Amino acid sequence: MNQKIKSSAKEQPNKRAQVWQVILIVLFLFYMLLPILSTYIFSVATRWDRTILPEGYTFEFYKEATDASYFSSSLRNSLILSLSTILVSLTIIIPTVYWVNVRLPQAKSLLDILMILPFGIPTVVLALALVQIYNGTPIGRTPELLIGAVFIYSMPFMYRPISNAMRSIDALRLTEAGQSLGATTLQVLLKVIIPNIYPGIISGSLLVFATVFAEFTLTKLILGARFKTFPLLLVEYTRINGNIAAAFSVISFTIAWLVSLLILWVGKKSQGSAEHTPNAH
Amino acid sequence: MAYLELKNVQKCFGNVKAVHEFTLDIDKGTLVSFLGPSGCGKTTTLRMIAGFEQPDEGTIQLDGTDITTVNPNQRDIGMVFQSYALFPNMNVQQNVAFGLKIKKLPKPEIEKRVDEVLEMVRLKDTAKRFPHQLSGGQQQRIALARALAVRPRVLLLDEPLSALDAEVRVALRGEIRRIQSDLAITTVYVTHDQEEALSISDKVVVMENGIIQQVGTPQEIYRAPQTRFVATFIGTANQFFGTVSSESTVSSNGLTITTRKLTDFGKGQSVVVLVRPELITISSDKPVVKNINVLEGIVETITFHGAVTRLGVHANQQNVVADITMNSSESISLNQKIWLSFKPDACKVMAADK
Repeated sequence: MNQKIKSSAKEQPNKRAQVWQVILIVLFLFYMLLPILSTYIFSVATRWDRTILPEGYTFEFYKEATDASYFSSSLRNSLILSLSTILVSLTIIIPTVYWVNVRLPQAKSLLDILMILPFGIPTVVLALALVQIYNGTPIGRTPELLIGAVFIYSMPFMYRPISNAMRSIDALRLTEAGQSLGATTLQVLLKVIIPNIYPGIISGSLLVFATVFAEFTLTKLILGARFKTFPLLLVEYTRINGNIAAAFSVISFTIAWLVSLLILWVGKKSQGSAEHTPNAH
Repeated sequence: MAYLELKNVQKCFGNVKAVHEFTLDIDKGTLVSFLGPSGCGKTTTLRMIAGFEQPDEGTIQLDGTDITTVNPNQRDIGMVFQSYALFPNMNVQQNVAFGLKIKKLPKPEIEKRVDEVLEMVRLKDTAKRFPHQLSGGQQQRIALARALAVRPRVLLLDEPLSALDAEVRVALRGEIRRIQSDLAITTVYVTHDQEEALSISDKVVVMENGIIQQVGTPQEIYRAPQTRFVATFIGTANQFFGTVSSESTVSSNGLTITTRKLTDFGKGQSVVVLVRPELITISSDKPVVKNINVLEGIVETITFHGAVTRLGVHANQQNVVADITMNSSESISLNQKIWLSFKPDACKVMAADK
């Protein structure tokens, strides 16, 4: 009897804490999801200023959004920009991280510091400085310059996961093992090192894609109207029609998610095939 | 002419001389081990043979050609690492086939050779498994198979058994030796474990501080050490410091030790007399044999080693260790007064500063 009272008294504050936990989580989710949810609803709402829920629903804004003159070209530009940035990033960062791990371990901390720098420079400053320096040169105000700029800006997102993956394998020993079997450094990099840092490459690519696909400041300041990307179009429409802008946002989310899934799928597939190819039958 | 020749090879890291005037000839088909404490330069020397380090001075010749500056991937020298270094993304078969694919051998030939070496290390049934699914001992056997598959001219093993537990270590070193002699492959084996070096080598190179101390067969190294370091590093040796008092005696702390004829030393010279613990006999009464060294002592420690029991005895103002076999009729207890005796033949005398 006595014991029972004790235990229920003990349960009381536990239960209270649990209730609070649930409330906090719900509030947090609400805070995080509300803007996304409202964007979704706003993109299909006819009129939504007098009532709590919209007065009617329509897909008209999606039609208008996809009919917009720059819709497909800006989408294409955004995809070109993010995919080529990923490509540039991978070809520069993988060999660099590999080289530093195997041949120049003393440079590791320097590289770590360098990779925080992009966070420290405001994008506006970076963009204006680039415009000033490269104006008048053949690459001034070109998409190539923009790719270079967003590469720098998104570099930490690629560097971190790849560097962590590289540290988790004994790159030096694996390289020496490969060399003693007759492989060149490039062969070792392609056949041994890259397959073993695949998870890092995939998450780096995802992060860079997400960052660059939504990039606005650098694009606007370096290229302006010359190379309209999806975020530029979106911002343009916030001034014309909020509903259409909301539809653009939803399309943008969806594309970003689809491409993320695609990158994950490609990564899983090539990693899986590296592990399971029966090579002697 | 020797197959692998190192001539006056030197290597410094900063101000530290890792390897100093290293000259060694290795005959074709033999297993030579580099033995020494950590930091003695044995691994650095091995890595210079592999091509992973460049010597500051000296040359390395393989089969008559100078390979000192040849890239590691063009030396045709296989290597097995302490950490196995198997490729985690490939299964056993792919790991072993890696070097053969790099050489662009035809597919049937690759299959044949992979089967062959996996058979050799007795792990044919693991072909489809990944390194992380294998035990340490199995991984190291696969690493050995991978190195052997390309049929290298020289095989290098860098502390291959150090990460394994005792039982596997002993079994695997026997296997390495069996495969090495079956293939008659020239092999350099780096280890800090003297038992390992003595048990599998044709020749042992004992190193300390980047300098070769002695080169010889395991028997020579154990029975006729040329320096005090070799005598104490390989097995255990009691050291009696003293001065030569006649043509076959050394006086140490008042004790006169009878030795073999001391032809190399003059009277009054500082020497050290080395006696292996297994050559010392124990008795509870004073032995009455003639022409034998006898000293009295108190048993301070008794350590059971299985086949032998090691006694630590305080005798003649120093610690002396002696090994007795289990079935000795004498039963010994701590603080017991006992007599130690050893023959003049058991004494190895060398200059004290050697």
